[in-house]
Amino acid sequence: MLYQPDTYKIEQDLSRFGRTGNDTFIPGATEEGLRQYRRLLRNNINNTMVQAFPISRQVLPDDEWNELINLFFANHDAKTTQIWKLPAEFVTFVKEKDYATLWGKPWLNDLLYFEWIEIEVYTMPDIEAEPFTLQGDIRNGTIVVNLEYRLIPLRYPVHLYAVEEAKNHPGDYFMMVYRHPETREVLFADLSALDTFTFENIAHEQLSLSDIAAGLKLQFALSDQHPLLINMIAFVQEMMAQKLFLGYAVERKEQF
Amino acid sequence: MGFRRDIADAFLKTNEIIPDFVEVAPENWINMGGYWGAQFKEISRCFPIFLHGLSLSIGSPDELDFDFLRQIKNFIAEHDVRVYSEHLSFAKMDNAHLYDLLPIPFRDDSVKHVVARIKQVQDFLEMPIAIENVSYYTPVAAQMTESEFINQIVSQSGCNLLLDVNNVYVNAFNHHYDPYEFISDMPLDRVAYIHMAGHEQVSPTLIVDTHGEAIIDPVYDLFDFTVAKLKPVPVLLERDFNFPEIRMLNHEMNQLRSIVHKYWIKDVVPA
Repeated sequence: MLYQPDTYKIEQDLSRFGRTGNDTFIPGATEEGLRQYRRLLRNNINNTMVQAFPISRQVLPDDEWNELINLFFANHDAKTTQIWKLPAEFVTFVKEKDYATLWGKPWLNDLLYFEWIEIEVYTMPDIEAEPFTLQGDIRNGTIVVNLEYRLIPLRYPVHLYAVEEAKNHPGDYFMMVYRHPETREVLFADLSALDTFTFENIAHEQLSLSDIAAGLKLQFALSDQHPLLINMIAFVQEMMAQKLFLGYAVERKEQF
Repeated sequence: MGFRRDIADAFLKTNEIIPDFVEVAPENWINMGGYWGAQFKEISRCFPIFLHGLSLSIGSPDELDFDFLRQIKNFIAEHDVRVYSEHLSFAKMDNAHLYDLLPIPFRDDSVKHVVARIKQVQDFLEMPIAIENVSYYTPVAAQMTESEFINQIVSQSGCNLLLDVNNVYVNAFNHHYDPYEFISDMPLDRVAYIHMAGHEQVSPTLIVDTHGEAIIDPVYDLFDFTVAKLKPVPVLLERDFNFPEIRMLNHEMNQLRSIVHKYWIKDVVPA
């Protein structure tokens, strides 16, 4: 670093003023120009967050929203070089500072996370799925998953209710957010605990539905796995139609 | 023309905009998948791509971000990029990105610092970069003129100059100098690229470089004066928001073309 200490301090003071609006003195600087920088910098941050979190912006009163933006910009050292990814850092900041509790809005973390995940899934790098065929054995075949997804747990059902209502229904919710492979639109599915368990075993263990049902029967000493299997088949059929599951794995031939 | 999502269809579907090249901010497209990733691949397939970066922060005291530069280098290779330009400003301080372009103090130590960093970037990317003269809204502890600052940076670093003619107009108004003299004082043999844009006057004493308005006649006049002094280089129409009808954008591009054709006989070919 070849800056002299005073040059460094001038840049630092300008930066801090831009982030906080707190009084500063910079030799030669005009008050109007400094105010303009504060306005431009803060607008960039605010506009990015308004675009990313339209629902949160709508449900938070102006003073709370503006306070969040000011606190975030002043206190959080933004890491990403890509401003459109900054909302992910905003979600973490709000969660770590626990404004949900401080402001009596227990749904706040879930709502911000839910809104960000839609952007994340919409923009995430393309991930090629395993080769698949549309014909297969739904009970015993290996089901191919569309890998462009995020499965998020929520404490409050902000995807089902307005926030004031959602806070009356705390529970264990599982939200599947994924990208349609052809239209590239983001789709949402509210999964039950059994759906989530089934999905995780298909996605991460490559287990067939029969294997998953058999495992559950053993684990819980069930007398009959058939009702479970029927539920799982219905889930997979539905989500195959919705392109969360793409089809059945193509058998790989041994190479000699 | 700059590629923006609001006018993407005019590039890719309706062919209402057929630019000689397309400029993008790499920060907006690196690692982008899905619908917009596919759109960008198509743009890259159809048009030469120029990169105009936002987050390098060449004037920052913070260390250069080589992970970011590696992403830029890969992006340049992947899309056969012809030009990578950045701003003569800082946008990061105390390890925090600011997402806007703040003015570097025009000082001797700033020259040394920025020159060293430009050289580092050029060595890493294995290509010359172009540095843009930025608009600024207040002087900050200057010990030399803006013109001296830019000349020293360009001559000592070996970089090219992205001459933003609108920024010259904006700065001349804000800081009370003659834009024509300023242009004449620039290292014109090092100009590799020109930006043209609109701006907004926000007070009787301040103009802001918004890229959200049409180019005004005095900036066209300054452009005409500039082009007469230069060898042919690519010219970009910057428009980032507040988009008018496409025919108005084409009208602006054609006005720019008519000026360059007065002085540059051959078509403008991307560098």
